[in-house]
Amino acid sequence: MTNLAISVSNLTKIFTDNKAVNALNLDVKEGEIMALLGPNGAGKSTTIRVLSTLSGFDEGEVHVGGVDIDRDPETVRRTIGVVAQQTGVEYFMTGRENMMVQGRLYKMKKADILARIDELAHYFELDKSIDRLVTTYSGGMRRKLDIATALIHRPKILYLDEPTLGLDIHSRKLLWKYIDELNKKFGLTILLTTHYLEEADSLSHRVAIINEGQIQIIGTSDELKNSIHGDSVVISFDDVNDKEKAFAEALKQSGQVSDILWDGNNLHLYVDNGASSVPPIMEQAAKDDIHVKTLSLARPTLDDVFLKYTGTSMLDTGEEETEEWWHQWAGKDGGKGNWKGNKWVNADGSQKGEWEDSEEWQGNDWVNPDGTAKETAPTTDTDPAADDSWQGNDWVNKDGQQKGDWGDSSNWQGNEWVDNEGKPKQDWSGTEQQAGSAEQNSNTPIDDGTTDTAETAAATPKDGDWKGNEWVKKDGQQQGDWGDSSDWKGNEWVDANGKPKSDWKK
Amino acid sequence: MLSDTWHLFNKYMTITLRMPLWSLFTLIQPLLWLIIFAQLFGSFVQTSNGNYMDFMVPGILIMTVLFGSSWSGVSLLREISAGTVDKMLVAPVSRVAIVLSRVMHSAIQVIAQTIIILVVAWSMGSTITMNPIYLFLGLTIVFLLGIGFAALSNGFAITLQREEPLVMIGNLMTLPLMFFSSAFVPKEFMPTWIQYASTINPISYAVEGVRAIMTTPQDLTLFAKDFAIILVFAMVTLAWAVSAFKALRD
Repeated sequence: MTNLAISVSNLTKIFTDNKAVNALNLDVKEGEIMALLGPNGAGKSTTIRVLSTLSGFDEGEVHVGGVDIDRDPETVRRTIGVVAQQTGVEYFMTGRENMMVQGRLYKMKKADILARIDELAHYFELDKSIDRLVTTYSGGMRRKLDIATALIHRPKILYLDEPTLGLDIHSRKLLWKYIDELNKKFGLTILLTTHYLEEADSLSHRVAIINEGQIQIIGTSDELKNSIHGDSVVISFDDVNDKEKAFAEALKQSGQVSDILWDGNNLHLYVDNGASSVPPIMEQAAKDDIHVKTLSLARPTLDDVFLKYTGTSMLDTGEEETEEWWHQWAGKDGGKGNWKGNKWVNADGSQKGEWEDSEEWQGNDWVNPDGTAKETAPTTDTDPAADDSWQGNDWVNKDGQQKGDWGDSSNWQGNEWVDNEGKPKQDWSGTEQQAGSAEQNSNTPIDDGTTDTAETAAATPKDGDWKGNEWVKKDGQQQGDWGDSSDWKGNEWVDANGKPKSDWKK
Repeated sequence: MLSDTWHLFNKYMTITLRMPLWSLFTLIQPLLWLIIFAQLFGSFVQTSNGNYMDFMVPGILIMTVLFGSSWSGVSLLREISAGTVDKMLVAPVSRVAIVLSRVMHSAIQVIAQTIIILVVAWSMGSTITMNPIYLFLGLTIVFLLGIGFAALSNGFAITLQREEPLVMIGNLMTLPLMFFSSAFVPKEFMPTWIQYASTINPISYAVEGVRAIMTTPQDLTLFAKDFAIILVFAMVTLAWAVSAFKALRD
């Protein structure tokens, strides 16, 4: 039996009202990179916190480096290096000072710390900036310093909680290289959490998909992909109604496909032979009078595995719902509630209050309670607008005619917005979560190359979609109302009277 | 534990010394009070030795302590959310040292501020003692009170977990504490109920003790009594803050 660096059995951690981790079992072998992949709130971070002695737990047994974490946390702390989600480095100290303090906390000798700092600074290519204040560092440099600081005491096991969250693609790739080398050269056991599929796929030896506080499946990423037989066909529709649902069911009944999974307006079909299964599917669609927007065929990816075991696509998990501080001050229900139509309802479904008038949106008209239109939006017919689409970076009519061009020829390239010389206009990394997910769209080999920009845009990690000029949730519910009845017309933003509000080209 | 405290304390001092302006900002209010109050009340408040300036300087010193150390908890919350605290906690660091280094840092900062106040007071004609031994003894009370309030602030920070209510408590606390004591007005001037309220106010004893040792004639017995009370106050609040911090492990 190989030695286990981490052994977790039956770990349960209960927060006041829910089980963040529920009877979780996990073994990590020495010298292995293990990725915990899961949506937000799946229990990844809680697990890491327990494993790094920051959190207690309610049930189960945890051994790190062969030591019972409950009995001897001090020894465990000496064995592990922890890089948390937030960079815990002090901004008003230099990189060297940061590492010095951390080394001191591990009771290391000064000379030893200094030697180790030089070694790590060199390794992470921070030699030049190590004596500069951290305030002058870039996000990627801070992350590197953070990891270097966590390695100061030569731990055998390293935890990385979302190590590349919010980093731009370049820094991310660089960090992967470092992490990979740490493992290969120094035999460091690494446990990392991530919600980037590509990260888990390319970096780790084994992937554990975690959801609702439990490991759903564990294995190498190839094993996971092979657990889904055959190929995956993804069909996306403009709209999902009974017709489409019946179509999917019929396909399953007929035995043409082995499994179906819905993900918003996308239908994932798993078939034995992708290429030969597409024509009959399309024939069936034509017969049922179903409009297929896009169809792509691919080998199953980790996203398919993820979808199968967590019920959500990885691409949908970009947005994190955070517990707001004011919830605990906002009454018994914690101020939780939601918009439902134009009413704000409490979490228990009771209505909190109502707007003074009960006008509503109907199509793109704002109507009075009696159904009379208050004002007619300039594009009274939603259909033509809905059929326009993005093509590359042009907004085109149904007939493919270009409506207008944007003022400059900048473009999206990966996750950067570049101008026509290909120079990045601005770095996207400031927007953390969003950026990461957006990037995922463009970099993860989720779909094969057949999907066009429009498709990728539709797959942004939101729980809704544009429908004509309205943003609707997955369940077809309208997300919110725009304040006025102005509208896009071609590439001009017009007000209710159809007068252009401002020219876009300026 | 002591070496952990020392290294962490050093870290905080390094950071503070990098931006000395921050600690100077908290000085503005006490300085304004020193100048305004001395001018405003000096003419009609009768004090035992007749010099209102001398009477209120100890009050201002203690006020500086309050303003200076009551924010220690806010920075603790910032550190918690920035992940700095976690970074300490994953290391084999004594948990006591984390709290201790914070309150020590806060108290030392307060000492530096009170020295500035003293210099200003002397330059404004106060006849507060310049005897180094008396000054040192007076500053021990300042230091202990600084520890006490910084510990309170840290303790509240951990129990409340939110910055907003903490700031609110800090604000609500400061003024009544100052006025329910003999910081600005001699006890004889106070209505009886405020006199009663002042007996449970640590600020009263701190002001009394500092005044007993820093103004002539010195009253060493009174100082010793007040010193003991403030020492107990500092120890109790510190113990509370440490136990709250230890319970932080969720």
